[in-house]
Amino acid sequence: MQSERAMRRLAFASLALLPCAMSLAATDLATTILSRMAKPGAAQTEFIEVSYRGMLDRPLVTSGTMKWLGGDRLERDIEKPYKAVAKIGDGRMSVQRGNGAVQAMPIARAPQMAAILSGFRALLGGDITQVSRDFEVKAAGNEARWVMSLTPRSGELKSRVQSIVIDGRDDAPRCMTLNESDGDTTITLVGATARAGLQSAAPLQSALAAYCRND
Amino acid sequence: MSRGAKIALYLAWLIAVAAIGFGVARNLKIGSDLRSFMPPPQTSDQKLLLDEIGEGPGSRLLLLAISGAPPERLAQLSQRLKTALQGDPHFLRVANGNADLDALASDLLPYRYLLSSTLDTRRLDASYLRDQLTQRLDDLSSPAASMLKPILPLDPTLEILKLAQRWAPAKQPMLRDGVWFSSRGEALLVTETRAPGFDPGAQRAAIEALQKRFASLQDAKRATLTISGPGYFSLEVSSRTKAEADRFGAVTSLGFVILLLLAYRSAVPLLVTALPLLSGAACGFAALALMFGEAHGITIAFGFTLLGVAQEYPIRVFSHRRGDASALQSVRGLWPLLATAIASTCIAYLAFFASGVTGLQQLAVFTITGLVVAGACTRWLLPRVLPERFRDAADTPGLKGAWNFLARLPRPRWLPWLVLIAGVLIVVFAPGKFWEDDLSALAPVPKSMLMTQARLGSDLGAPDVRYLLVLRADSADGVLKLSERVTPQVDALVGKHAVDAVELPSRYLPSVETQRARQAKLPDAAALQTALAQAGQDLPFRKGLFAPFVADVEVARALPPLTPQQFEKSPLGARLQAMLLQHDGEWVGLGTLIGVRDPDALAALSNSTGGAVHLLDLKASSESLLIAYRQRILVALGIAALLLCATVTLALRGPRRALHVIGPMTLATLMVLVVLRAGGIPLSLFHLVSLTLAAGLGLHYALFFERRTDDPAEERRTLHATLVCVISALLVFGVLALSSVPVLRAIGLTVALGVAFHFMLSVLMAPAAHLRRED
Repeated sequence: MQSERAMRRLAFASLALLPCAMSLAATDLATTILSRMAKPGAAQTEFIEVSYRGMLDRPLVTSGTMKWLGGDRLERDIEKPYKAVAKIGDGRMSVQRGNGAVQAMPIARAPQMAAILSGFRALLGGDITQVSRDFEVKAAGNEARWVMSLTPRSGELKSRVQSIVIDGRDDAPRCMTLNESDGDTTITLVGATARAGLQSAAPLQSALAAYCRND
Repeated sequence: MSRGAKIALYLAWLIAVAAIGFGVARNLKIGSDLRSFMPPPQTSDQKLLLDEIGEGPGSRLLLLAISGAPPERLAQLSQRLKTALQGDPHFLRVANGNADLDALASDLLPYRYLLSSTLDTRRLDASYLRDQLTQRLDDLSSPAASMLKPILPLDPTLEILKLAQRWAPAKQPMLRDGVWFSSRGEALLVTETRAPGFDPGAQRAAIEALQKRFASLQDAKRATLTISGPGYFSLEVSSRTKAEADRFGAVTSLGFVILLLLAYRSAVPLLVTALPLLSGAACGFAALALMFGEAHGITIAFGFTLLGVAQEYPIRVFSHRRGDASALQSVRGLWPLLATAIASTCIAYLAFFASGVTGLQQLAVFTITGLVVAGACTRWLLPRVLPERFRDAADTPGLKGAWNFLARLPRPRWLPWLVLIAGVLIVVFAPGKFWEDDLSALAPVPKSMLMTQARLGSDLGAPDVRYLLVLRADSADGVLKLSERVTPQVDALVGKHAVDAVELPSRYLPSVETQRARQAKLPDAAALQTALAQAGQDLPFRKGLFAPFVADVEVARALPPLTPQQFEKSPLGARLQAMLLQHDGEWVGLGTLIGVRDPDALAALSNSTGGAVHLLDLKASSESLLIAYRQRILVALGIAALLLCATVTLALRGPRRALHVIGPMTLATLMVLVVLRAGGIPLSLFHLVSLTLAAGLGLHYALFFERRTDDPAEERRTLHATLVCVISALLVFGVLALSSVPVLRAIGLTVALGVAFHFMLSVLMAPAAHLRRED
């Protein structure tokens, strides 16, 4: 009698654990990717950002350097086509165009920036539990060629941002694609991809997306 | 009367008092609006203060801090509370830093070209639009893009944003997750109540509504809401005062019970002693309800204090019962003296009735009715419910010794004169201010609350509660024009750090003239189309993207200028409404000041504007009102004193005997003043009322000690009654004097000192012939 009850209890326990085990396998790749990319402390990369806007005939292209200063602090220096420095940290964002006045605003007003910041934290912080708090994290492919997608769980971010998709090889990301809820898309080339430059001054969105996925 | 009949009468009495009390409680409205208690305002500032402002917009502000949860949750709570309060009629506005772009009501959107200052220096021509469109293109690749995208086709020059920035609070706290946060990590909000600051009842309702709304928020359980602000202080202070008064009341009630049991060695006095006073109070309230329909809270507090005299009436009856007579006969013997005391007190209070101040008239009606009813109950009802059996107070052990001790005291004839001269000298020449004009000093706000207020106030840039700029003109538009005219001067003062920031009415709504000037600069649709096409050359904006912009400008060209009434529909309409008032046939604009450093520099604005703009010092104005009020009370008290002297002289048939009554009363009152002045305590209204109560009690002591009687037992009864009265008064008010709340301490100390001095002096100054030694 005693052992029968114990057996039943064990069966129930393993049933309850099953979904956990399955999700563990799914996030496994993401965890591995993140831990391999983790840059403790600070990191910086060149970037080329191509914004596709519904209200514009052609994409906007900016380029410069992004610096992750650890935690939620990020600096984004645009060098072309104009000079501007955006600093993010402690819930605030400030933008200085050229030598002009510094304009500050709460980061919640710029969900796009908040999303980029989260993406960077994901990429460089290497901490999947932290990223999973704000995003549903999925990874596909293998450790050599992977695509990781972050979908906002709730709040202001979810209403503005559909998803962030990161393409990468081994321990290096290639592109970060921000899909906004209104249909606009921003593709940011980082690392080696950014250094290689764009093939055309105004690449088609589909062509750039394909470039991010393949070599 | 049989025992059964006595008990039946007692119960009937009890029920009658309860019934009147119940009826009054249902019908009498207790007002908390200070205006009904103040004298009519004299100066225009006083009028403005009482009629419109209360204690200024600063006093309507409640500063809120939410703490005790992670920042994201606090930000959420802040937003939910803001939404909840926006739908609450108690509040004019609420802000938490999440400045929405819908600062202008959507049907007023085309007005942005008339409200924003862009067109003062620019025109919507090709070169300006080119510059703007180029900037917008950069914005679209910047982090701010998602915020700008929705409004870009409608508003490429970002007038909506410029207005939102113009209307944002001058000084803003740190933002986190879109809402204000303090340096300690609390989410901050600021809200303005509809109720003026001087109406504690309405402030209480608003604060309770606020607390209820917060408690019903999702997730609010683990978080704490801190409220700060003048309205909250007065609420806290009055509830603390009440709590302390209740606590002391419980202690003194117990002491009073023990005293009565010891003095009369019977439980009967306990059962009936409060009835005359309660009957008087109930009838006093009924008279107020009939004559005024309303009574001010202060009237009731002061009235109850003054009515305290009536507690002596039953005690006199208990102590003066003679062994050889029924209760009724004893009371008859006592009545002429009691009636004299009651009549002279009531006649004295008639002076209050003639004062012309509603609050004082109510006080007079309440007190006179109360005293007359309490006296009548003591005379005609009380003896009929007292049992036949009792102990003669004259036989109280030790009483004879006490009498002999008092009789043996030296009574130098020069003593009263010495007391008089020394007293007057000390009262007049003691250093320190004579009057306390700042009522808040009597009910001080706890230091911790003031520190919270200072912290939150500086974080939130809360407006000054003391100073306001007042702009006067003959129309609303005149005020707006004046406001525009002084803006450069005011900005210069901000530049010179005389004040941190100033909010004038024209910040929200420009004058008609300015709106028309801007309107005249708007291009027609064709010109705007051409300019836009020129400006957008080789920029990637899609064709026709800015059609909503062109349409809005066309609408704006034909708009009648925006009026304050129309502006009220906007989220900030209530703000403007509070700053723009019609008063006494003219229009008044109120400018809010934040961080006043140099009031004199601000006051000088009056000279450069011919008096149209001036600095209103709310503290000085309310103090001047208080002084006017006190002067009325002093005049009323002076006349009351004269009436009292006349009545007593008449009742005692001549000034010689009257002097034995009025002399000790005057000197005792003087001695209380001496002690207060020597102690450096400035006098307030509460001291005056307490002095009046003490004088009323002193009148009894002096009248009874002055009474001629050849019966040594009766003399002992007089002493017994007086001692019971004095000890009970000392008990009640002496304990109150130990209170930590200054207003309670003021009342307690003054009455306790007064009772002691009145007793001593009425013994020492009683006619020498009355005070024989008994052997």
